[in-house]
Amino acid sequence: MNYGFLSSFFQKDLFLVLGFVFECLKERGMAGSNEVNLNECKTVVPLNTWVLISSFKLAYNLLRRPDGTFNRHLAEFLDRKVPANLNPVDGVFSFDVLIDRATGLLCRIYRPATAEEPEPNIVELEKPVVGDVVPVIIFFHGGSFAHSSANSAIYDTLCRRLVGICKAVVVSVNYRRAPENRYPCAYDDGWTAFKWVNSRSWLQSQKDSKVHIYLAGDSSGGNIAHHVAARAVESGIDVLGNILLNPMFGGQERTESEMRLDGKYFVTLRDRDWYWRAFLPEGENRDHPACNPFGPNGRSLEGIKFPKSLVVVAGLDLIQDWQLAYVEGLRKAGKEVKLLYMEQATIGFYLLPNNNHFHTVMDEISEFVGSDC
Amino acid sequence: MKRDHNHLQPNPDPSSLRGAPSTGKAKVWDEESAQQDCGMDELLAVLGYKVKTSDMAEVARKLEQLEEVMCNVQDDGISHLASETVHYNPSDLSTWLESMLSELNPPSTFDPFGAAGTAAAALDDSFLVPAESSTLTTLDFDNINRKHQKSGQQIFEEASCSDYDLKAIPGKAIYSQKTQPQTHDSSSSSTPTNVKSEKRFKSTSGPPSPSDIFPPPPPPAAASYGIPTASTRPVVLVDSQENGIRLVHALMACAEAVQQNNLNLAEALVKQIGFLAISQAGAMRKVATYFAEALARRIYRFYPQNPLDHSFSDVLHMHFYETCPYLKFAHFTANQAILEAFEGKKRVHVIDFSMNQGMQWPALMQALALRVGGPPAFRLTGFGPPSHDNSDHLQEVGCKLAQFAKKIHVEFEYRGFVANSLADLDASMLDLRPSEVEAVAVNSVFELHKLLARPGAIDKVFSVVKQMKPELVTIVEQEANHNGPVFLDRFTESLHFYSTLFDSLEGSVSSQDKVMSEVYLGKQICNVVACEGVDRIEGHESLTQWRNRLSTAGFSPVHLGSNAFKQASMLLALFAGGDGYGVEENNGCLMLGWHNRPLIITSAWKLTNKTTAISQ
Repeated sequence: MNYGFLSSFFQKDLFLVLGFVFECLKERGMAGSNEVNLNECKTVVPLNTWVLISSFKLAYNLLRRPDGTFNRHLAEFLDRKVPANLNPVDGVFSFDVLIDRATGLLCRIYRPATAEEPEPNIVELEKPVVGDVVPVIIFFHGGSFAHSSANSAIYDTLCRRLVGICKAVVVSVNYRRAPENRYPCAYDDGWTAFKWVNSRSWLQSQKDSKVHIYLAGDSSGGNIAHHVAARAVESGIDVLGNILLNPMFGGQERTESEMRLDGKYFVTLRDRDWYWRAFLPEGENRDHPACNPFGPNGRSLEGIKFPKSLVVVAGLDLIQDWQLAYVEGLRKAGKEVKLLYMEQATIGFYLLPNNNHFHTVMDEISEFVGSDC
Repeated sequence: MKRDHNHLQPNPDPSSLRGAPSTGKAKVWDEESAQQDCGMDELLAVLGYKVKTSDMAEVARKLEQLEEVMCNVQDDGISHLASETVHYNPSDLSTWLESMLSELNPPSTFDPFGAAGTAAAALDDSFLVPAESSTLTTLDFDNINRKHQKSGQQIFEEASCSDYDLKAIPGKAIYSQKTQPQTHDSSSSSTPTNVKSEKRFKSTSGPPSPSDIFPPPPPPAAASYGIPTASTRPVVLVDSQENGIRLVHALMACAEAVQQNNLNLAEALVKQIGFLAISQAGAMRKVATYFAEALARRIYRFYPQNPLDHSFSDVLHMHFYETCPYLKFAHFTANQAILEAFEGKKRVHVIDFSMNQGMQWPALMQALALRVGGPPAFRLTGFGPPSHDNSDHLQEVGCKLAQFAKKIHVEFEYRGFVANSLADLDASMLDLRPSEVEAVAVNSVFELHKLLARPGAIDKVFSVVKQMKPELVTIVEQEANHNGPVFLDRFTESLHFYSTLFDSLEGSVSSQDKVMSEVYLGKQICNVVACEGVDRIEGHESLTQWRNRLSTAGFSPVHLGSNAFKQASMLLALFAGGDGYGVEENNGCLMLGWHNRPLIITSAWKLTNKTTAISQ
């Protein structure tokens, strides 16, 4: 666990935090049924991060309807998107590919611009990658299965970073979302994208003429990465590693962290429940294996060649007990897993490069992917 | 541990990153971002949000305030924000939050239009909820939809449906005063979307519903920070088959040869393209053929005829209008902005630079007719090029519109002007009335870029527009850079642009419409590739470039909101292959794209400074 040095930061701010907590306790009387203590989470993240995540929270509250439907038009209107861009920005260019017309499945491909080809030519977008080993990261964006897209600005930015950090090609999958498209659509789209990537000759590493695939994702994307990996290994295709950032898992019981952190750091149990209800098949509960892969309806991975995993858990994420249970499940089945527990991190810490957790995690990801040379 | 963060911005001071905790760590980051340009928080800017660092605390306060208010009001209050409030320009967080705060405060009386002075509608199912001008279809459709909402089928939003009646949008039905249901649009594939279109078109006839229409309140005067962005080249690959790539290779090689004036090589390559194209299927073959033809014209100096050949152009234009949503989207979104700008005005005057067959106007007139308090007096001035058959084409269009106006009881005045170029226009010709008496909107759909071919023309037109003292200027243009100085660049950009456009046509149901649309676009391709100088009228430029031109010329953005966005999105679903189309909001403009590749953009503008218009 890699959180030791962070606690010193916490100690220095202890008095500040205590002061705020005192204020919060005073104001607790005014909280309505959605008890959210804003001052507390304001102390643990930089102000602009707080503004960003709070804005998302506000928008998301508007979009979820009590009857389980979703205001998709408003969601698309509010989401900040960026187009693909053949002009390299900070050494990375991108383009979209329609990989399945029937479902309209798009992926956005991010590639590093090379010294020889600083301005990529339109005909050479699918030029073979150069290198003995070129990692290809298939990325599944987060959004609790309902929000965001591959072209959302937050994810476009994150994918670009991954290219630089891992010297990889990143393929971001624009999977179908809930509640319009429930389980297993997102997984099916992930699988379609996986097969597509695996069959691209231009993505093959020169060493062995194979595509070196990593699966990565945050929140619901992390969940998708797990399930696609499981399907891949079942089909006999190698996955070199899974990178799960604050992966979205859950279960029917209420865990300690869920109750302790409910409403404290941008996320409520109520909204988590809403998203599971929107994604899982109607009538299913949260012990469905999609939600709870190592739960009562889950399946052991023992004897299966599941890839090594890097799992990042934010210490202020209310679903951390489920994420830790996931890690435990992998360990019990004898799978290689590295847990990064970021004690003072909230959800979304990886969206802005303005905190230590961000840099720690990026370094770990780089090492995780780089160690296969 | 080595860290390569050169690609991150801003570059943080390494010493402050690790093991040097300080109480103001959050502050350190904010200060660094503050050093960036305009005082805008650069980290948020990258993510699409424009917040000045100095405003950050204030924005945070607003967020907290909203949170507090939302906790205290009942669920209705919040859902009203989602379903009825019109949102504008979400990138400007501060203003967005402010507008929501003002909607919720005071939360007790539900009267979002107190300021505008119009009575709020009762929240009755059969009534149109204020601010949400809406569906393009009749109430029947909405009833069907409401039933389907719970069953998890394609969700088309909510109960709030206004009767902003845009029945005219499906096309000829209203305009020609016949009630032909557009059945040909609704046949074909088995996707649920198409099945729905069939239902939708069932009841295109009928008088306009007497329900209310509440144009939304005028958008807040948000300053657009306009962080300049470098030009982007969005690309979507829809065809990565082997032959497709070889074809593109050959086209590019040929264009390069042309650029280098190596005409022998170019000639050989053009022939090769012909062979390759035959073996290609679908959109790529047609696009390649048009581009090859254009290259051939350039090589053999067999330039296309005078592009102002409008009798045939009109026919093509109409088919293009029917086949795919681009023109309808343009008309629809521009009309929405005009409707909002005309709110409360008793006399209005639309000056249309892109008259053609006047297809944009029945829908607007209808919406004005259904306005609370009755329609304004509606004056329309249309511009168009001369007809080749000496018919007074513009006058015919005017007559038809006059008949329509009479039918819907809108006082109507019309004047048509024939001109070879908009630059020939003078404000004195227009019989402009004082702006207190008559509000003016200027509308241009795919016309302005034609002026770029002639030096000084666009500036002249802008200056004339300013003299009109318009409330609003609506502009729709292609989102593409086909006007650069280097031929090869123009060729490459347009190849991708038109490939995407042609791909979007593939799903069209009517093969005749499709073919005509392709011919229509083919003429544009020919112009971009084969023509030069003043003949190259299809000098499309990107939104960034238009924004620069317009702000330099003295115009400021007027934002299009979530209501226009939603309705435009719903419009798109009516088209076969609708899934590939998407609307995006970008700093108050609405973009229509195919598979995430932006293709056309509607923007709205007002005079930055009304008083200076007189002196220009």
